[in-house]
Amino acid sequence: MTAYAKFVDVTICTGCRGCMVACKNWNDLPIDTQAYNGTYQSHDKCDGKTWNVLQMKEFETASGGFEWLFRHQACFHCTDAACEKVCPENAITTTDMGNVVIDQEKCVGCSYCVYNCPFEIVALADYVNEDGKIVQRAQKCDMCDSRIHEGLVPACSQTCPLDAIVFGTKEEMRKLAEERLAIAKEKFPNAMIYDPPGVDGTNMFYLLPEGPEAFDLPVNPKVPTSAVIWKDYAQPLGKMALGGTVMAVATAFITNKLFNKGHGHDEEGGDIDESTKE
Amino acid sequence: MFEVSRRQFLKLSGATAATLAIVELGFDPHKAKAAAKELKTARTDVTPTICPYCSVGCGILIHVKDNDVVYSEGDPDHPINQGSLCSKGSSVRDLYTTDRRPKKPMYRAPGSDRWEEKEWDWMLDRIAEKVKETRDSTFVVNEDGIPVNRTEAIASMGGAALENEECYMIQKLMRGLGLTFIEHQARI
Repeated sequence: MTAYAKFVDVTICTGCRGCMVACKNWNDLPIDTQAYNGTYQSHDKCDGKTWNVLQMKEFETASGGFEWLFRHQACFHCTDAACEKVCPENAITTTDMGNVVIDQEKCVGCSYCVYNCPFEIVALADYVNEDGKIVQRAQKCDMCDSRIHEGLVPACSQTCPLDAIVFGTKEEMRKLAEERLAIAKEKFPNAMIYDPPGVDGTNMFYLLPEGPEAFDLPVNPKVPTSAVIWKDYAQPLGKMALGGTVMAVATAFITNKLFNKGHGHDEEGGDIDESTKE
Repeated sequence: MFEVSRRQFLKLSGATAATLAIVELGFDPHKAKAAAKELKTARTDVTPTICPYCSVGCGILIHVKDNDVVYSEGDPDHPINQGSLCSKGSSVRDLYTTDRRPKKPMYRAPGSDRWEEKEWDWMLDRIAEKVKETRDSTFVVNEDGIPVNRTEAIASMGGAALENEECYMIQKLMRGLGLTFIEHQARI
């Protein structure tokens, strides 16, 4: 498995929002008009109807200057994905290319993933199921799963006029990020690569001009402890216990068959069999 | 109480275990469905076009399937944008698919507070009639003894998406009518 990654160079983004519209266009997402809240930002944050949002931040530099910060906000495709971990229906999986996808037909809309996503990206939204009914299902960016598996790049990456969103193998993208970091350092001394180790790195990662706090990003995102306990310890133990029970029953059945031959009517079971004339 | 013999209990347990095993093995109808999901643009007719919005003139590919526009994207072979598009260009599919698109010429009569649908023929005749009427009633041949041959009652407004040939035609027509106010969107 080769991990692929989407690298977003936040330092050169101009905030044109081409990625937002291209995403809606490719994924046939509905219009979601939100009330004006005093900023140029169109949507509050990512949700099930808007899989990527261009975050616009007004930032005061150390020297008292003003800087616009534009960040393409979308699913991070964590290597150790909390959403995948907590999903009781195994509807969320990581593909062979490293992107995390939700099977809408398996999802039951329990929203465990919504509450456990360290970046608050996944959300419920309308979905028309096999019976034509509108149901609530967890939805988010799938990194254009069908596109990347056909050798294309995600829609947001293709449309970006600045090459601020680049798609390729994680290794190539890390290298490119290091090159761009060296350039960005001249203008932004606090520039850094945001590829948080708390979730084993992400397959959508940033080159940020300022620290993650400036973008309201968690400094050290982690898979919630409850999710780790449940999925990594409690569930395997439970499965082992279930397996043990099945094994015990099977063994009991076989041993019963083997050792009870010849005893016949002395057995309690045999007696009842006689009386019911089975 | 419900009495179960040991043999019945074992049979029941076996059946339960077998059912669970089959469920765990996964007879899953969704899997086949997921595997069959193909690229949205796999079977589309592709038409190249030019973005109608600003003067950059980016190339766009329009994907059509079953008489509907299913996707629009930047043309990777176009020398100007090389596959990229801004938010306005990316939304060009909506020009065709939106339910807010007027499909007939809209007319608002002088003093009226509402728009009404009209036929193209009626519209063109009406425009021609009004242009002629306005030009003839306001045409100035001489001013201070100098021939000017102009009308200041009509103005022309060009757009950024006009190409050379269209600009030439507009210039010819408007100068022929005697217009002096020939403007362009990018200058105001």
